[in-house]
Amino acid sequence: MEDIMERVLNKIDARFAEVRYMRIKMNLITVKNGVVNTVASTEEDGFAVRVVNEGIGFGATNDLSKLDEIAERAIKLAKNRKNKVEFSQEKSYEDSWSVEEKKKIENMDMEEKINYLIDVDKRLSAQMKLQMLRDKEIEKIYMNSEGTKIRAKIPRVEYFYMMGVMDNGNFEQSYRQYGISGGYEIFDRWDILSLLPEEEKALKNVVKAKKSPEGTYDLIVGPEVAGIIAHESCGHPSEADRILGREAAQAGESFINPSKIGDKIGSEIVNVVDDPTVPNSFGYYKYDEEGIPARRRYLYKEGKINEFLHNRESAGKLGTKSNGAARSSWWNREPIVRMSTTFFEPGDYSKEELFEDVKEGIYMKSFTEWNIDDIRYNQKYVGREAYLIKNGEIVEPVRRPVLEITTPGFYGRIDAIAKDLEFFGGTCGKGDPMQGVDVWMGGPHIRLRGIKLR
Amino acid sequence: MDLEKLMNKSQNLGIDEASFILEEREKRQVRFSNNDIDISKLWLEKSLGVFISKGKKVFMTTIKNLHKAEELLEKYARILQNLPENKDFYGLNPKRQSYREKKIDYGILDLELENLAKDVIDGAIEKGAIRAAGVIYRDYVKRKILTNYNSAEDEVANVDIVIRAFNEYRNAGQEAITTAEAKELEDARSIGERAGVIASLGGEPKDGKEGKYKILFHPLAFGSLISYSMHMASAFAVDAGMSFFAGKIGEKAYSEKLTIYDDPTFFSTGHRVFDEEATATQRTPIVEKGVVRNYLHSYSTAQKFNTETTGNAGIINPNAWQPVVEGGNKSYQDLLSEIDRGLFIVNLWYTRFQDYRNGDFSTIPRDGIFYIEDGEIKESWKGIRVTENMQHIFSSVVDVSKEREKVKWWDEVLPSYLPYVLVDGVNITRSKL
Repeated sequence: MEDIMERVLNKIDARFAEVRYMRIKMNLITVKNGVVNTVASTEEDGFAVRVVNEGIGFGATNDLSKLDEIAERAIKLAKNRKNKVEFSQEKSYEDSWSVEEKKKIENMDMEEKINYLIDVDKRLSAQMKLQMLRDKEIEKIYMNSEGTKIRAKIPRVEYFYMMGVMDNGNFEQSYRQYGISGGYEIFDRWDILSLLPEEEKALKNVVKAKKSPEGTYDLIVGPEVAGIIAHESCGHPSEADRILGREAAQAGESFINPSKIGDKIGSEIVNVVDDPTVPNSFGYYKYDEEGIPARRRYLYKEGKINEFLHNRESAGKLGTKSNGAARSSWWNREPIVRMSTTFFEPGDYSKEELFEDVKEGIYMKSFTEWNIDDIRYNQKYVGREAYLIKNGEIVEPVRRPVLEITTPGFYGRIDAIAKDLEFFGGTCGKGDPMQGVDVWMGGPHIRLRGIKLR
Repeated sequence: MDLEKLMNKSQNLGIDEASFILEEREKRQVRFSNNDIDISKLWLEKSLGVFISKGKKVFMTTIKNLHKAEELLEKYARILQNLPENKDFYGLNPKRQSYREKKIDYGILDLELENLAKDVIDGAIEKGAIRAAGVIYRDYVKRKILTNYNSAEDEVANVDIVIRAFNEYRNAGQEAITTAEAKELEDARSIGERAGVIASLGGEPKDGKEGKYKILFHPLAFGSLISYSMHMASAFAVDAGMSFFAGKIGEKAYSEKLTIYDDPTFFSTGHRVFDEEATATQRTPIVEKGVVRNYLHSYSTAQKFNTETTGNAGIINPNAWQPVVEGGNKSYQDLLSEIDRGLFIVNLWYTRFQDYRNGDFSTIPRDGIFYIEDGEIKESWKGIRVTENMQHIFSSVVDVSKEREKVKWWDEVLPSYLPYVLVDGVNITRSKL
């Protein structure tokens, strides 16, 4: 395969060119209300060629006999630009990397996976239950005209559920996604057989609860809520392609512009990072999809805007170096700027200390509906499992507290961050055509003062 | 690829029923931002969609390595034998089908996408925008299907044009159109002009105010609400308990001004001749004058619901092909003039539900939010959110325009043909800090 790729690459006359090969084996099972609804299995591979001259041309095919054709056409497509595109200058690397599976995907037969899901289903009495289990074995070869050659093997396993309970005409729903780079040790890390009955119990309490009170309260958010906030209002607005307007007609832009590095965004104890190197994280990688080594990036540091996420195109435009944030979700997608594992760094407090100092507040442990505007400034999170706090104690569950807040509004009201740290899986959507990439997001328990809730 | 040979092989492997869909696709894309082209793309792809069953055991896959199709079919047949039964599966549609003639405008294939991009950018700038971003797609697909009972072929070509234009205050306007007819793109510049006009109309947007408003939704904005709703009109969603349409067949649940079809017979981007089990597609009323008429069905889900297939397979999870909402008698300008105090919203994004069963959701307006007083645009707004219930929205439709547009967009807007829709009492919220 590498010989074929090198032959194609050598034929391309361009300022820069790359050829990517990806092979994916994937299995998918869905169980709906106890019925095994879907069993699917796919094996596919394909090539993508990207050429940079005045502009960028991109061609992809899953037909080996068309590889030369897409390369030739990508060369022609790379001419369609008024202003010449500049990629950042980078070192070249040659390496092979892989992620270890403690319980190999290939050793887990379909029957065993189905039985696990059925077992989970049997432990639940919710009126609506939907589960999905997916595993992927990905092999990649990347090479470019500057001599970089990276080979990678990444197994990933992902579990998703959606559940709904009814009580006296009231309905509460929840869903959650767990994922790792690795094998079926995912169920050692997260014991779904225990976690889902606990979640169901919490939902059954919440569905009977009264609506969360409206007013100004101290707010403690759990790691799941902290994670989505880090992802949506720190990770996304720090993506340099958004900042530069490249995603303007799709996922939008950013309230941050290039001159805002160093500007205050929140309290001094706030540090939010994006780190592809967290071991076994769902979006783990050692090299990005342009062959750049991965590293931890401090996006917000000590309450200030600190660093953007870059691929070579965005770094070239801003006259800097890539920090290894290029990802493509599939063999037929271009590498664009993406997050990996985005999280609040833990602080100094114990979780108990956060609660002790709250006279009247709301604990939003998890979330249901959420959204954010396309510059990542105005956002909303509706609590799923939530409680009223009085004099440092959790008093009772409350239903659907609503936090509608701006980005500096949220980060500026943080006054204490706990020592705990938890991650949750997600599929981040961006790009056109859409590229859903596997990510983690997370954080510790975080306390905010004087927040208007409804 | 010989589908008959594959079908014979499947029967020799002990498979009871099979559906094979062979697709050959050439897709092009041009993306642009800051008034210049960022990237031009090409995809050449072939795939074989496979659905096989034995009794109530089912298995599905997409084979991309077509030269390995027979070998993989043997592997999948072995997996199938060991699967548990899907008690919700009732077989493929066994009825002999007659199909409409395929319909394609080959003129679509001659369009120069880079020139279209330049035209729409120029149009937006001409009307006062300072920068524009967007995407042009062309999709050309040849599709063949073979089941135990039917076979058919189809060939489609279509183009999507999305342009988002900005004024100096970052006020945006957007057009996101789709078509299967080349003649509709003869004046592509006017698409950019419309986006440019919307961007320029607002001047500097002001912070919006909370409250209940009469809102005129642009077809693109209403397309977002309709597309999410069509997912919930699928019998799969209803059966799973994830739909506000559940239990409402025959009920006058919504405004009599609201009629929603799934119409793959309408010649545009969502035009299709057959579904994924070779059932001939049809125009299916989902809501007719406010009365819920149908869910979207495959043969199998229809058997479970004791009704007829609507030609919307996805065999396990039926889906909409092309939402169409009936137009009315008044122009959208007339509808705008009926607003004493309200809003005109061009686009919505990030629609999320906290309650699928009752339809509680919120979504964020963008690309043109205008405050209206006495039928006139007074100012442009920013920073607001529609916090609503989908059934309340559908029940509060005051009127729909006679003009309709073919829209499709990146954030969950299916190819649709929709009017402007006037809705009363829509709840608007915003950030508190």
